[in-house]
Amino acid sequence: MRITAPGMRATIQDRGRTGHVREGIPPAGPADPVAFAAALELAGCAAADAAVEIVGLPFAFRCDDRRVVAATGRDVRVRTRGALPGWMSVLARPGEEVVVEGSPRTRFAYVAVSGGITLPPVLGSRATYLPAALGPLPRPLVAGDALPLGASGAGVAAAGRRIAPLRYGGTARAVIGPHQERFRGETVAEFFSATFTVLPESDRMGVRLAGGALTPADAELLTCGIVAGAVQVPRGGAPIVLLADHQTTGGYPIIATVVRADLGIVAQAAPGEYLRFERVTPDDC
Amino acid sequence: MTLRPFGDRAFLIELEQRIDPSIIDVARAIADAWEERGLGEATPAYASVVLAFDPARIRWADAAAAATALRSAPPPATAPARGRLIRIPTVYDGPDLAETALRSGLSIAELVDLHSGQDYRAFFVGFMPGLAYCGLLDPRIDAPRLAAPRPRVRAGAVAIANGQTTVYPADSPAGWRLIGRTELRMFDPGREPAALVRAGDRLRFVPR
Repeated sequence: MRITAPGMRATIQDRGRTGHVREGIPPAGPADPVAFAAALELAGCAAADAAVEIVGLPFAFRCDDRRVVAATGRDVRVRTRGALPGWMSVLARPGEEVVVEGSPRTRFAYVAVSGGITLPPVLGSRATYLPAALGPLPRPLVAGDALPLGASGAGVAAAGRRIAPLRYGGTARAVIGPHQERFRGETVAEFFSATFTVLPESDRMGVRLAGGALTPADAELLTCGIVAGAVQVPRGGAPIVLLADHQTTGGYPIIATVVRADLGIVAQAAPGEYLRFERVTPDDC
Repeated sequence: MTLRPFGDRAFLIELEQRIDPSIIDVARAIADAWEERGLGEATPAYASVVLAFDPARIRWADAAAAATALRSAPPPATAPARGRLIRIPTVYDGPDLAETALRSGLSIAELVDLHSGQDYRAFFVGFMPGLAYCGLLDPRIDAPRLAAPRPRVRAGAVAIANGQTTVYPADSPAGWRLIGRTELRMFDPGREPAALVRAGDRLRFVPR
């Protein structure tokens, strides 16, 4: 897989690095796990394979041999010999350029290629965590990068399969707490009824929100472990939804936690867009 | 101890909410038991444990039952092995130094003397790769977290908050008060082990 246009920040990701939280190492992996898993499946990859996450399209590449490729994410489409939708498996001929394009609302796009990217795992994973330069290729991709791919049985029959895109925008489902008792009852109710605005300072670590006028908890929290989707409320009252590059522990009370299936809805919300949270119980998901 | 869902693929057990080595040891014992049973990854901290699981592998109800059992009958806690002494050469010139001294009723020199005048235990490593939560600060230092975290601080920043101290191992957002900096590399993925400090080590800040 030879990169011809790297986008603004493209990194290699797999489903994430586990087993190292006690060294403070976050899971990394895709900001939008549903889109990432769909790209892998459409390209005929295994769930543990590695693919590319791109911020800032367009992204373009060629493969030396015939491959099944798929691009997913918000508002993503593919151009090869013609224009194709995203969330579809596409047969790429040897040497043919595949261009992945989006819209101004696209924050994260995923490109998977049959066979998967086979760079050697670091600490059990191929996921890139840029803040600590972790991963087999711990930097954004650049034009000219050549990524090794695994064996692929890519055939014409594999092309044209589709997966329905995630329904982006609007409302993400969240489970209350775990620190709900540290907030006033009306603050928790406000969280689940307010409309928040996504701030531009959002990234793979977390999505920062404005609005909602949440009253922060009276007491600070003793530093506590965290999972992706946790909605922290710092003392200023402006919530942060943590994503794949989240810290492994934090000290701000967590009012609610977005369910994994809806992390992409939060991650892909563009600055200035609105977000709401619908309360669910964890065994609904 | 309380047990609550933490999203749709984890639970949180909370112990008595204070910083006390014997509570930390219980949290770590619960985390070890969860992982030894192959249920998933666990994150112990001062007085809590996050118990994560993969719903594709373990049903919610089974994970909930296992977490409930650990809360009801936590495994016996043992203290960690005594670690190494790590000296941290520190330049005390952080942007929050003067304000923190003022709110504590101390001069800057007094605050520096208090911070560098004792050894700290590394309780656990978390937040980001290689960041060790160490304590306890002298209670005369009054250092609540900042109301809004800074979007970015530099690697090597020496920080304090709520009785704890640490060194930021990489550029990152940060909610703790910055009082100084060190040139030591706290985390280096090319080094084995990558993290300079492990749980159980002792830290000494040396002014320079």
